[in-house]
Amino acid sequence: MRRTVFGIVLLTLMLLPQVVVAGPSPIIAPDAKPALQAPALKTGTPPANVDAAVSSPPEITGVRYANHMDAVSGISRLRIVLEVSQPVKAEAMVIGAPSPKLVITLIGTAVGKLDGGLSFDGTIAEQASAYMTSGGDTRMVIDVPLMLEEQDYRLFTLPGDAKANRPFRVVVDINRKVPVFDYKFTPGIKNKVIVLDPGHGGSDPGAIGPNRSQEKTITLAVALKTKTLLEKAGAKVIMTRQDDRDVFGPGATAADELKARTTIANNRKADAFISIHIDAFRDPAAGGTSTYFYQKTPYDSMLAQNLQASLQRASGLRDRGINSANFYVIKRTIMPAALLELGFITNPNEEKLLNTPEFQQRMAQAIVQGLDCFFTQAAR
Amino acid sequence: MKSNKLWPVALLLILLMIAGCAGNVPASQGADHSDPAKNAGNSQPVAGQTEKMKITVYHATKDAMYLVPEVHEVERNNHPAQTALELLLAPPKSSDLVAVLPQGTKVRGISVKDHIAQVDFSSAIVKNNAGGSATEMLAVGAIVNTLTEFPDIHKVQILIEGKKVETLTGHMDVSEPLSRAEKIIKK
Repeated sequence: MRRTVFGIVLLTLMLLPQVVVAGPSPIIAPDAKPALQAPALKTGTPPANVDAAVSSPPEITGVRYANHMDAVSGISRLRIVLEVSQPVKAEAMVIGAPSPKLVITLIGTAVGKLDGGLSFDGTIAEQASAYMTSGGDTRMVIDVPLMLEEQDYRLFTLPGDAKANRPFRVVVDINRKVPVFDYKFTPGIKNKVIVLDPGHGGSDPGAIGPNRSQEKTITLAVALKTKTLLEKAGAKVIMTRQDDRDVFGPGATAADELKARTTIANNRKADAFISIHIDAFRDPAAGGTSTYFYQKTPYDSMLAQNLQASLQRASGLRDRGINSANFYVIKRTIMPAALLELGFITNPNEEKLLNTPEFQQRMAQAIVQGLDCFFTQAAR
Repeated sequence: MKSNKLWPVALLLILLMIAGCAGNVPASQGADHSDPAKNAGNSQPVAGQTEKMKITVYHATKDAMYLVPEVHEVERNNHPAQTALELLLAPPKSSDLVAVLPQGTKVRGISVKDHIAQVDFSSAIVKNNAGGSATEMLAVGAIVNTLTEFPDIHKVQILIEGKKVETLTGHMDVSEPLSRAEKIIKK
């Protein structure tokens, strides 16, 4: 596979100077990804507009783009929308050298409004240049910071809708790529630096159960038990709080609190950050254990996976799985991080369980076990 | 001969028009509608009764795993987004669903500029919140998904008592405008 990609890149490099002068687009050939056609247009070549026969060829009539962050998962993507005067075919291909690029070709389309290219804010892409090939296609070359894989981008078309005054559109979605971090992990807990963050505290009780128990008390109890076990195994533990207090200080806002916690973690060179929470919901039937991550290093989901598997085995509660989440502390810490929701305080059975020292100890052991498995896997 | 050639084109146009009229625009396309002035709502006229409109709001499943859309048919008015938020705060029609915003929450205002909606809630959205990240995720997801049903709204910035906030109840980062959450919708 690697060799094929290399071959294509080499071929591309050799052909590139000629392409501009020499016409039909050879660089599209090998692994060009055709745009998904909208159902209505699936049959054969795109139909000409009624008055297209007499008027000009297809042209890009409008360009817009925006970064979108999924409200719940926090996953970001850049969407570029090219409005075209008539339905056209579009193809995409990735170039790896000399720098990674995504190349979009609109067959037989005049460059129109895309002339002069685009410049983005750099989070997902830097800029795009656009030109017309001598074959009459528009080519948009998007500079991206990291080599894209098949799943990192999507090209599709949307049919025009005369009634709603919407033209035919070619849409390019590019997902935010995670930079390859050079964390050299070794197996085992020994000598690791772990940040434990007991959720809430002080003026903020967190969620409250039907029997009036408070989230902040349970998260601290589990964190202290985890600390003891980790230190016994030779790790260094940094706690964001060791007693019932606001981490930022008295009168902290929710945002001050979260910032204070991530600052503690980011000021040390820690190997992992674990935020311990108890979940809540209006319906008392909701229950189970979940783990959240935000993939900012290549290790966040791996950490979440190992912790969730271990917690789930130990708790025996419903497995709510791992999910990407737009959570402050796991997004704004720089090391691999996970946020654990051990159970639901609003579920009467789980509230009872979460308040027993035995269950808290089991959860602490599960966190240590999960970390151990994570470091073993990450070291490979 | 001439008319023969035009047949497929005409058929296609008809097909496109039918597709354009279908009430259920796929969610993924919701964020790409581009004509704010003419499509001020997720509201669509109900056939034969132009004085009604359809509004889609999102409520949670009882196990707090997913959001489910619920469609309301209400009197047409000139503030459909405000109406959608009021319906979001009201109890769901289905007894299998749970409203996700805390009781007592009020909408202080909503405005849309450059496809970004700024929605301002009263402080009850924080004070009366039961806590828990599941509750917070479902609340944020429901607000954003309900508002992005409107073609004119691509992103949502949540305000509390007129101010930008970094979090609702201490888990989620809501400091910037948020786009539609797809995965949390029950398929």
